[in-house]
Amino acid sequence: MIEFSHVSKEYSNGVKGLDDVTLHIGQGEFVAIIGLSGAGKSTLLRSINRMHEITAGTLQVNGTDVASLNGKKLRSFRRGIGMIFQSFHLVGRTTVIKNVLMSKVPAMPFWRVVPGIFTKEEKIDALEALDKVGILEKAYMRADQLSGGQQQRVALARTLAQHPEIILADEPVAALDPVTARQVMGDFAKINKELNITILLNIHHVELALAYAERIIGIRSGKIVFDGKASSVDKAVLAGIYGEEMPEGVEELYEAV
Amino acid sequence: MRLYDKVFPPKQMVLSSGKTVEERFTRIPLILTGLLFMMILSIHITGFRISTLMNRGNEFFVILNQMIPPRTAYVSQIIQPLLDTIKMSLLGSFLGSILAIPFSIIAAGNIVKNKWILMTVRLFLSLIRTLPTLITALIATYIFGLGTMAGMAAISIFTFAYVGKQLYEQIETVDMGAFEAMEAMGANRFYSFLTAVVPFVLPAYCSTCLFCLEGNVRYASILGYVGAGGLGLILNEKIGWREYDSVGMILLVLFMAVFLIEGISYYIRKKLT
Amino acid sequence: MSEAIKQQLEQEKSSWFYKVGVTFLLAILLGWSSSTFQINRVSDNGLDIAKNIISGIFHPDRRLLFNFTKTGISYLVLETICIAFLGTIVGAVLAVPLSFFSAVNIVPKPIALAVRWVIMAIRTIPAFIYGLMFIRVTGPGAFAGVLTMSVCSIGMLSKMFIETIEDLDVRIIESLDASGCNTFQKIRYGIIPQLSPDFISTVIYRFDMNLRDATILGLVGAGGIGAPLIFAMSSYRWNEVGAILTGLIICILIIEFFSTKIRVRLARG
Repeated sequence: MIEFSHVSKEYSNGVKGLDDVTLHIGQGEFVAIIGLSGAGKSTLLRSINRMHEITAGTLQVNGTDVASLNGKKLRSFRRGIGMIFQSFHLVGRTTVIKNVLMSKVPAMPFWRVVPGIFTKEEKIDALEALDKVGILEKAYMRADQLSGGQQQRVALARTLAQHPEIILADEPVAALDPVTARQVMGDFAKINKELNITILLNIHHVELALAYAERIIGIRSGKIVFDGKASSVDKAVLAGIYGEEMPEGVEELYEAV
Repeated sequence: MRLYDKVFPPKQMVLSSGKTVEERFTRIPLILTGLLFMMILSIHITGFRISTLMNRGNEFFVILNQMIPPRTAYVSQIIQPLLDTIKMSLLGSFLGSILAIPFSIIAAGNIVKNKWILMTVRLFLSLIRTLPTLITALIATYIFGLGTMAGMAAISIFTFAYVGKQLYEQIETVDMGAFEAMEAMGANRFYSFLTAVVPFVLPAYCSTCLFCLEGNVRYASILGYVGAGGLGLILNEKIGWREYDSVGMILLVLFMAVFLIEGISYYIRKKLT
Repeated sequence: MSEAIKQQLEQEKSSWFYKVGVTFLLAILLGWSSSTFQINRVSDNGLDIAKNIISGIFHPDRRLLFNFTKTGISYLVLETICIAFLGTIVGAVLAVPLSFFSAVNIVPKPIALAVRWVIMAIRTIPAFIYGLMFIRVTGPGAFAGVLTMSVCSIGMLSKMFIETIEDLDVRIIESLDASGCNTFQKIRYGIIPQLSPDFISTVIYRFDMNLRDATILGLVGAGGIGAPLIFAMSSYRWNEVGAILTGLIICILIIEFFSTKIRVRLARG
């Protein structure tokens, strides 16, 4: 459960990243955040696990006030939240399974961290995470030998092996081709249903957001301008989010409807 | 490695979905044992002692201290040997790089299809490359007499082997489509090579030669030590007389010369690529 | 002729001018340095000597080659390998901190430049001078050779290490941060796995080079196969020279074969 109440974020140069955001996201929801680049999508997402600080209001995740966390407490809080990035952020030079096993590191004792010793249970858990995203057979290959879509799945498996309650995904399909992007979005939807993990993702492909997410949040200049079911998004709503700068493809999407 | 996998069989892991995954037994213990063995053997054979370093380490700086300050008055006598060294490396690098061209063409797998020629030429190149430059220089002084000619010969031989290997590897990376297109237009193999392969390799080849030249200036300064002319000759002399302040000056001049040449060469190589 | 074609032709001319310029410059440089080419100095018996050398090298002294005691080739080769091995490792240990202090993505630029100057200065001093300096510390022998090799390795090792460090992908740190790793864990799992394959590959390559360069140590009495080789050469015992070179070359070729294999595997996984 994620609760924003009157949250604002002002950068040191005076630009408002978030402007009085109040939001409630329940466990197991699949939410897509859409908006122009620079509208505050990334800031919204990253304030949840405090990769970005907020400057006003309160933000609670499962009853914890995020702003109060520090050091050790912040790190153990972050273990419960998975994060996926646009450019995968894998160590290309090591094997896929070692990349997935990295999610186990924060909870490991020091003597196992130094030499990198993982227990059998941890390895099986990592392999099962790879199995869930369908790339089990690549486990012992080097990550830089995989295609972009496969690499994003490794990143997804790494997050799953963390057993998070929430997954935050910052433009997860922006670096992928359209076909692979659909597959990865499908993976997100499957994980959301089967494991009841809350998923929040930033995305600039409106048609993908509408096709896979249940709930859409539209953001413009740091303010939430739309919050509702994917099915209730229409041309007027998109115009409210994007204004004049309607992204390519959206026009046709609605002309077709 | 197969034997290793038999002695240490792969671990079977059963997932909850019923699938099994095999994990090869880690190679790290094998590698670590090998490294540890080599370490112990090397320490034993070379007589490496940390305690000696701790106790007598300051002795290292005795000669170094005598080099500072360098004897600036000596600089007038350094210029000529320095120029000799630079000339040796320039001409040596040039001759070596030119000589390398025909050899690397017949060592390139996409130009020559005969396996035996390839093998022989490549073996020849790597044999020459394993000959230590100092030994080549020493042999050269026996044949050409003491002086810069011997040093120049040694440098050309070293350059020949190094550039030869790099060049045939570069030729092998060339896309042969253009070559085939030229042949299809009716050009003979030599013309096709000239127009289709040469433009691809030329920048990389020039860059390799310049890189080799940079190293050769440094190398040429050592060669004099065995009588092959240049800076090494006076270095040897001054060390023999324990005039370390002059040695310091020679090194300072060498440092500046190398810095300058590397700078120019780096600039040209940047422009080439 | 159309205007556009004329323009193109003029561009062609400037490239032609450039080519002539380069050729001219090269010709001047070569003419200037041709004074080192002194064929008239060739000693009269130079060809005879060359013949002797070649026949000696092709008829190596078999007794020496298959002598497995401490005076035999095999022991000398082993000693040389040990000097190169330990020298490379000590050199790598010294080069790692120097490289971190001269990588512009780790320290401020002035510091990085200063450390780079230090590395260049270390590189300028020729091996045999280091040999003389270290012999004062350890006395003549293989120990001095190890130390010389290690200092001589610093220049090239740190140059390659710096390139690897400056290529670091720091985005991975962000994702480790998001999953709750502390600073040590971020270094251990975000940085070390990126650096280690390249570092190991560089060190192996340097070991190869050190093995080739180890003969220089013989000049100043810092151990290894160089001293007996140079001794045999200066007393014209070419069969002995042939035996020593055979041993050395075989050893270098074998080690090069394996090191290339390992480095290819490190690069491609």
